[in-house]
Amino acid sequence: MTDVILEKVGKTYPNGYHAIPSVDLTIEEGEFIVLVGPSGCGKSTLLRMVAGLESISTGELRIRGERMNEKEPAERDIAMVFQNYALYPHMSVYDNMAYGLKNRGMPKDQIAEKVSDVAQMLGLTELLQRKPRQLSGGQRQRVAMGRAMVRDPKVFLFDEPLSNLDAKLRVQMRVEIRQLQRKLGTTTLYVTHDQVEAMTLADRLVVLNKGKAEQIGTPMDLYNKPATPFVAAFIGSPSMNLINANLTEQGIKISDALTLPLSHQHRGSIVWGIRPEHLEVSDERNADFALRIQAVESLGAETLIHGKIETASGDGEPLVVRLSGPHLPDVNSLMWLMAPAQHWHLFDEKTQQRL
Amino acid sequence: MIENRPWLTFASHATLLVGIGLVALPVWMALVASTHPASAFGVGHIPLWFGDAGVETWGTVLFEEAGNGVDTPVWFMMLNSLIMALGITFGKIVISLLSAYAIVFFRFPFRNLCFWIIFMTLMLPVEVRIVPTYEVVANLDLLNSYTGLTLPLIASATATFLFRQCFLSIPGELVEAARIDGAGPWRFFFDILLPLSRTNIAALFVILFIYGWNQYLWPLLITTDDAYYTLVMSIKRMLSVTDGDIAWNQIMATTLLAMLPPVAVVIGMQKLFVKGLVDSEK
Repeated sequence: MTDVILEKVGKTYPNGYHAIPSVDLTIEEGEFIVLVGPSGCGKSTLLRMVAGLESISTGELRIRGERMNEKEPAERDIAMVFQNYALYPHMSVYDNMAYGLKNRGMPKDQIAEKVSDVAQMLGLTELLQRKPRQLSGGQRQRVAMGRAMVRDPKVFLFDEPLSNLDAKLRVQMRVEIRQLQRKLGTTTLYVTHDQVEAMTLADRLVVLNKGKAEQIGTPMDLYNKPATPFVAAFIGSPSMNLINANLTEQGIKISDALTLPLSHQHRGSIVWGIRPEHLEVSDERNADFALRIQAVESLGAETLIHGKIETASGDGEPLVVRLSGPHLPDVNSLMWLMAPAQHWHLFDEKTQQRL
Repeated sequence: MIENRPWLTFASHATLLVGIGLVALPVWMALVASTHPASAFGVGHIPLWFGDAGVETWGTVLFEEAGNGVDTPVWFMMLNSLIMALGITFGKIVISLLSAYAIVFFRFPFRNLCFWIIFMTLMLPVEVRIVPTYEVVANLDLLNSYTGLTLPLIASATATFLFRQCFLSIPGELVEAARIDGAGPWRFFFDILLPLSRTNIAALFVILFIYGWNQYLWPLLITTDDAYYTLVMSIKRMLSVTDGDIAWNQIMATTLLAMLPPVAVVIGMQKLFVKGLVDSEK
């Protein structure tokens, strides 16, 4: 059953700034959708439009089939978790969680029951009488989620909820959010700029760029078949190597000296891409090209090698290679690489679409 | 400031003691003077230690009419002063809270213009606009009434400005969270805004109470009925006797009494007052 439908939803600010031209998105019940993109791409604006904190300039938003454009945030049956948590500083944890229910006129004993249920689920029972300033960052984050959960809304909205936490806690909360969402089965819209968060949490990802949805799909879809160079570069870390090239009869002409053989009916300027993890080390005979190593980043489990494709003139394209395990090649030495054709990504340079 | 230098400690303490002495001396003299007979001042020297007429003077001041042309007892005037001071204080706080709320949280045309017009009234204190204000109050038939005493002084640009700054520091996400939690404008105001500006309200209360209590010119102008005389203005009245001795001892006792409520308010609310001026709990 479809839960949330965004139909040609757009946003224009009074000063004429076109933040979001038009976004179409259909969300199934219980789905975990992550909106991801660089800062300023309009992902938070879109979320706030669903929440009702920003007006919708064009298009229509429907939740469970009901038009929501003109409804107040409180009438939309949504709950939101903010980046800085936005807990009421003068209220105890209990009151923070109960406030929304109180405003809805729920009887006191019912509120107490709901709050204590959610508090138990989140491990907040001990903290119910504390004030937000007496809590750690992770605990505040949990209270903010509790405040959303206690309302039992149709849709959860998360606005970069983990970006104020330290790295370790972020990973822990990420897993926890995912588990809770599965357990509750509540439709969720989640905004982040962190692609790891996006990949691990999402049922489906929406990659936004300048207010436009570049691609919508499962994390693996986006990883394996990015629709545009933007998505290709955004998903995956380190990001995909993208090199401007020419598609000719002989194949992909990367530079005067280097042409990778390929038979393809398309001709003209293209963007050729390959992920750092798909490049393979080989010997000189089988290699597609050589890399002049410029820097080596050893991370233990993997090694990132930064370099330039070796050419006669020395102005080859920069490239990153990711090898598993520790490697310690010399800087400035040559490394022979193979680029298996099944891992190539080709994009038309003009239309920026996948070929 | 952390290092331990004995002479510095000594010097700073000495400076503080001299300062305290300077400030406290007039109060001390008033206290001492209230225990001497009225004639003691006429002689020409100022006594620095208690006399023997203290009980009598204080008894007169507290329980009888203040004398010297003022026919109401001091406690009654204190009551008037209190009503006026509290009226002004609460009125100012309520009105400026509401106007700051409107200016900060609601989008309406000429919002900023409204704020600056309010702000400009800082340039027009009662003393400047006293004639037209008097006329308005007189025309409204409010002379000799508590309303007349308080209402013209109730608007406050300073307090509005202070609350505006306080409200502006409240993060926007808090407002949005409240909206999602279904809090309408009034709920938001009472449940979130008021508790968050608690310390600011307390600080303003102290300042405004002292301001209200010490009003002199305005009550002097609009009250002609003894029933509405306030304490501060009556001290002046007690001084202006055409013939006979000025009862300095009674005046001093009254002055001391007039100082008590502001002192009590300052001491009682000191903690909140400092908190309100220094930190914001947000």
